[in-house]
Amino acid sequence: MRWLLLTLLVLSNLVLATEDSYEFDTPQQRETFLTLTQELRCPMCQNQNIADSDAMIAHDMRRKVYTLVQEGKSEQQVINYMKVRYGDFVHYKPPVTFATLWLWLTPVMFVLLALLFVVFRKKTSTQEDIEAKLAKANAMLEQEK
Amino acid sequence: MKKSALLVIPLALFCVLIVFLFQGLFSDPRTLDSQAKDNPVPSFELPDLMTPTRLYTPDVFRGEVTILNVWGVWCVTCAVELPFLTHLKEAEQVRFVGLYFDQDLDPDFGTKTLSRVQQEVISMLGRFGNPYQFNIFDVYRDTSLDLGVTGAPEHFLIDANGVIRMHHVGDINERVWANKIKPLYDVLLQEKNKPLAESQGGEL
Repeated sequence: MRWLLLTLLVLSNLVLATEDSYEFDTPQQRETFLTLTQELRCPMCQNQNIADSDAMIAHDMRRKVYTLVQEGKSEQQVINYMKVRYGDFVHYKPPVTFATLWLWLTPVMFVLLALLFVVFRKKTSTQEDIEAKLAKANAMLEQEK
Repeated sequence: MKKSALLVIPLALFCVLIVFLFQGLFSDPRTLDSQAKDNPVPSFELPDLMTPTRLYTPDVFRGEVTILNVWGVWCVTCAVELPFLTHLKEAEQVRFVGLYFDQDLDPDFGTKTLSRVQQEVISMLGRFGNPYQFNIFDVYRDTSLDLGVTGAPEHFLIDANGVIRMHHVGDINERVWANKIKPLYDVLLQEKNKPLAESQGGEL
């Protein structure tokens, strides 16, 4: 019994939150629709995709995505259609532009800089250290005499 | 020399970070860059809300500066701004056109009859004032989608050539009108009158 409940619980996660029942001609179109509604962002409730959101605008966008997919539009075409209306904001994958490039570049730059810093610092400091220590030791030895 | 650089560089980076994060405190994540701005009104052919046999196209925006107001009876803020819009229409002869869309009217199921929608609109405009020259009925909410509308109320300031010059999300109140919309509205009125005066001058 417990196992049955557990499996049901796990399975219930797989059921998609979209309550609208759309019918597709091919399974591939269905696939496209599902990925698109996952990737497109609801302009009203900003941290949800249009598959999850229950806002009216999300309903309308799902309907639009459905009609566009039924018309045989490709994934990219639908994304562009939405971008023309709602901007880059509407897609969860930001395009690489000069302004967004830094999202990827800054971490890499930081790691490289830190690495250079560590390597560079170790070499100089140890050599100088040893030389200084030797000089100090020599001076102490001289004094002993 | 080297030691001062070690102090100054992290400090400068820290300051940049502080400024960046500080700005974030006051930025509104809800403001989106309107894609409709500086573009002509997208093409549509939609019925009048009251007399559905009458069809409108973007040509209704030609020749006059218009504020296209996206609204619905279900929208509370719309009811709040209606009296002020009516005042603007009466005091400054602002031309308001409504783009009406209904939230409860699911185009796929047809849950609500048109006459019911009309009744609701008439009673709401009777209570709060009617600023609209006419209302375009966006039956399938397609045109709203084309305009990048995310809710209601939203306003599009359209010049006499039918080009959207401002997209204002939210209501119009006295402050918004005076600070944000009126300045551009006046410019558009001037633009509208200028080419007319020039062409008349040419004829003479």
